[in-house]
Amino acid sequence: MDCTIATWNHIIYFWRSRPSLRLPLLLLLSCAAGFAQNASQPISSPLSVRTTHILGFEGAESNAGGTLSIQENSLQFQRNGKAAVRLQIASVQDVCVGEQSKQVGGLPMTLGKAAAPYGGGRVVSLFAHKKYDTLTLEYVDTDGGFHGAIFQLNKGQGEVLRSALVAKGAHVSESHDPPKQQGTVEVSDEPK
Amino acid sequence: MNPNKRISCHAFVLVIVTVTIALSSQASAQASASSPGSQDAPAAPWNLQVDKVDAGNVVLEPAFQIAIYENLLVELGKTKRFKQVLRDGDHNASDVANLLILKTTVQKYTPGSETRRAVTTVSGATKLSVRSQLCRRDGQVVLERTINGNVRFMGSNLRATHNLARNVAKAIKQASLPQPSGSPTERPTLSEQRSLSSF
Repeated sequence: MDCTIATWNHIIYFWRSRPSLRLPLLLLLSCAAGFAQNASQPISSPLSVRTTHILGFEGAESNAGGTLSIQENSLQFQRNGKAAVRLQIASVQDVCVGEQSKQVGGLPMTLGKAAAPYGGGRVVSLFAHKKYDTLTLEYVDTDGGFHGAIFQLNKGQGEVLRSALVAKGAHVSESHDPPKQQGTVEVSDEPK
Repeated sequence: MNPNKRISCHAFVLVIVTVTIALSSQASAQASASSPGSQDAPAAPWNLQVDKVDAGNVVLEPAFQIAIYENLLVELGKTKRFKQVLRDGDHNASDVANLLILKTTVQKYTPGSETRRAVTTVSGATKLSVRSQLCRRDGQVVLERTINGNVRFMGSNLRATHNLARNVAKAIKQASLPQPSGSPTERPTLSEQRSLSSF
C-alpha cells in the first residue's frame, strides 16, 4: 500500500515538475489506450466483417466501405444507411484470398507527404503503409454471366470469411491458390 | 516570416495548384472522351462479349485477373462503340447477332509496390502487358493488339488494371472494325433491349 502511494507521489511530482513533457505523455497514454482498446475488442464475428468493396459486386459502389455478412444462404454487402446488396452463395464459383500492402491516409496524406520539405514525406511513406487481405469472389448471375468482385479486409479476416463461405456451399478451386509473396522478378508469357 | 517556412508554404501552394490543374485537365479530357458527340461515334452494329482473362503462364493474382475483366467491361461500355457489352458465359450471347468476342491473354506482369513508389518515386512500378484479340464467333481474328497498363507514381497496384482496361478500350475505339455481315436490326432479341446501365 505504501509502495503504491509512493509511486503515485512520484508520478504527481514528475507531472508537476516537467510541464514540457505533459503533452507527449498525454499523447503516449492516449495511443496506449487506443491500442489496448483494439486488443481488448473481440474479433468481429466471422459472419460480419468491415470491408471496403474495391470493385465488381453488382449493385454496390466501387471503393465503398461497408459490412460484408453471411446471412443464411446469401452474402450481403451493406453500406451504412443504404440498402443491402445480396448474392446467393451457391452462385459463387471461386473464392481466393490474397494480400496487399497499401499506403494509408488517402489523398490528404499524399498531399501532405508531397508538401513535406527535405524529403520528409518519403520517410513517412516508409511507415505509413498497412497490409490488407483481399477477398476475390467469382460468381455467375442469373443469365450465366461471369462476375468478379474484390473486397479489401483487415489482415486475417480473408481466410475466416473464405472458410465461412465454403462451409455455406461456395465452390472453391484448389488450383487457384494465390501467390502469397509478390516477387520483384518480371514474369513473362512471351514466346522466346 | 521565417524564410524556410515561407519556402515551405510556397512549395505547398505550388503542389496544390499543380495537382488541381492536373486533376481538372484529366477530368475534362475524360469528359470529352466519354461524351457521345465528341468523336464520330459510329452507330453500334457490333455486340461484344468479354471473355475471362487468361493468365497464360504468368503467375498473376486472381484479384488482378478479376480487376482487368471488370474494368474492361466498364471501360468498353463507356466507349459506346458496341450495342451491348456482354459478360463471359452470358446465355443471351447465343441469340445476339453480330457478336465479337474479346479475348485477353496476359503476356507480362511486373509486380510493384506502392510503398516503394512512394519512397523512391522511380522504382516499384506495377506493369501489365496483355494481348487483346477481337474475334468473330468462328474464331476469325478481327483485331489484335498488345497493350500495356502501368502504375508508376500514385495509386494502388490494382490501378494498373484500370489503366490497362482504359488503354484497351481506347485502342478498340480508335480501330476500324469491319462491317458486320448482317444488318444489325436483322435479329432483334430480348437481350438486345437490355441497357448498359449496369456498367
